[in-house]
Amino acid sequence: MIHHLPTIRSNQDGYDRLAELAKATSDLMFDRLELSLSRVSFLDANMAAPLGVVLAGVADRFNTVEIVEVPEMVERILRKNGFLTQYRFEPLPDNNRTTIPYRRLQRNDEGLFEDYLQRHLKGKGMPRMSEGLGKVFKQKLFEVFQNAVIHSESELGIFVCGQWFPQKQKLDLTIADAGIGIRDRVRRHFGNDKIGSVPAIRWALQERNTTKTGGQPGGLGLKLLHEFARLNKGRIHIVSRFGFYEFNAGHESFAKLENDFPGTAVTLEVNTADTSAYCLASEVTREDIF
Amino acid sequence: MKTPVIVRIFDIVGGPLCVSAEDGQRVHDKIAALLRDEQPVVLSFERVETLISAFLNAAIGQLYGEFPEDRIREMVSVQDMDEEDMAVLKRVVDNAKAYFKAPKEFDQAWKEEVGDEE
Repeated sequence: MIHHLPTIRSNQDGYDRLAELAKATSDLMFDRLELSLSRVSFLDANMAAPLGVVLAGVADRFNTVEIVEVPEMVERILRKNGFLTQYRFEPLPDNNRTTIPYRRLQRNDEGLFEDYLQRHLKGKGMPRMSEGLGKVFKQKLFEVFQNAVIHSESELGIFVCGQWFPQKQKLDLTIADAGIGIRDRVRRHFGNDKIGSVPAIRWALQERNTTKTGGQPGGLGLKLLHEFARLNKGRIHIVSRFGFYEFNAGHESFAKLENDFPGTAVTLEVNTADTSAYCLASEVTREDIF
Repeated sequence: MKTPVIVRIFDIVGGPLCVSAEDGQRVHDKIAALLRDEQPVVLSFERVETLISAFLNAAIGQLYGEFPEDRIREMVSVQDMDEEDMAVLKRVVDNAKAYFKAPKEFDQAWKEEVGDEE
């Protein structure tokens, strides 16, 4: 089959279009997908991660995936970040060093994720950030990665990709998985298979809410991510199945996608112009921890 | 009181990356065994580079389900930890205390929640 992908921005519409691709290809098996990008006037580089999720699902059903008719500007971005090299395109060097490449990792690849961050975040706005902010940013990315490891059950792995915008002084990084989604975890937790994606995300964002069982407290990861974005004046997107959540400029919004995105994707946009000394809690001393 | 034993997190985990719940569980098992023997511990985070809540929930948070708060305060301390990591640990500890004091009630309303997805 041939599918024409439209412009993909890092927003609700972009995820809706990727979920549409997932729906259009859901019955495809032992076949071939020709994904034409001729109608793409722009593709936000970090969206290569959720696109990777959808295409990995297609390939997993024994289909051949081919990407064709790629406009020059889009091709440049996606060859530089390594996404198109998965589809037999030649790599292109990233001379400006603004790319945070596309990678597909396995759930036990924490060490590789650490190397990835170490290698690709360095020099991308980080010198402007205080040392503390750089460290906290990395910590939050690991919280997201670890959420995918613990909760997603993604057999196809974890997909990461980002972009640094030196002029705008921001850096986007998306971590996506091809798992069951927050909705199904919450449904299982409450024994109710009617819970929708948006209420499930809303529930997961509340402190201390966790689907973890077995005497281990949890439910802090997303809360800490949220606090970080608020202090940094950054942005968060969480997309999981039919649910879309955005935190931007202190405001939260939820929306329902038209189609089912086959997994979960979290984007963290960090404001690299933030040079303030950083600490998520007011002074904590060794004496008052326990 | 016995002289505290230094528990080097880097050595138990085998590196500077303290992110997984599995590694946290191994650290927990070591600490819990020492506390059961009335042995005070000092947790050293020397050379630890990345530390997150998923690891700390398993390593330290769940101790609050097994030992009284005042006993933990008396027997456990930390060293070689920077400000950002201490802030995360403090959040994990506060969260664990609240969790074990009053586990969140299973909200019955969620059993009846009906969405409009298939």
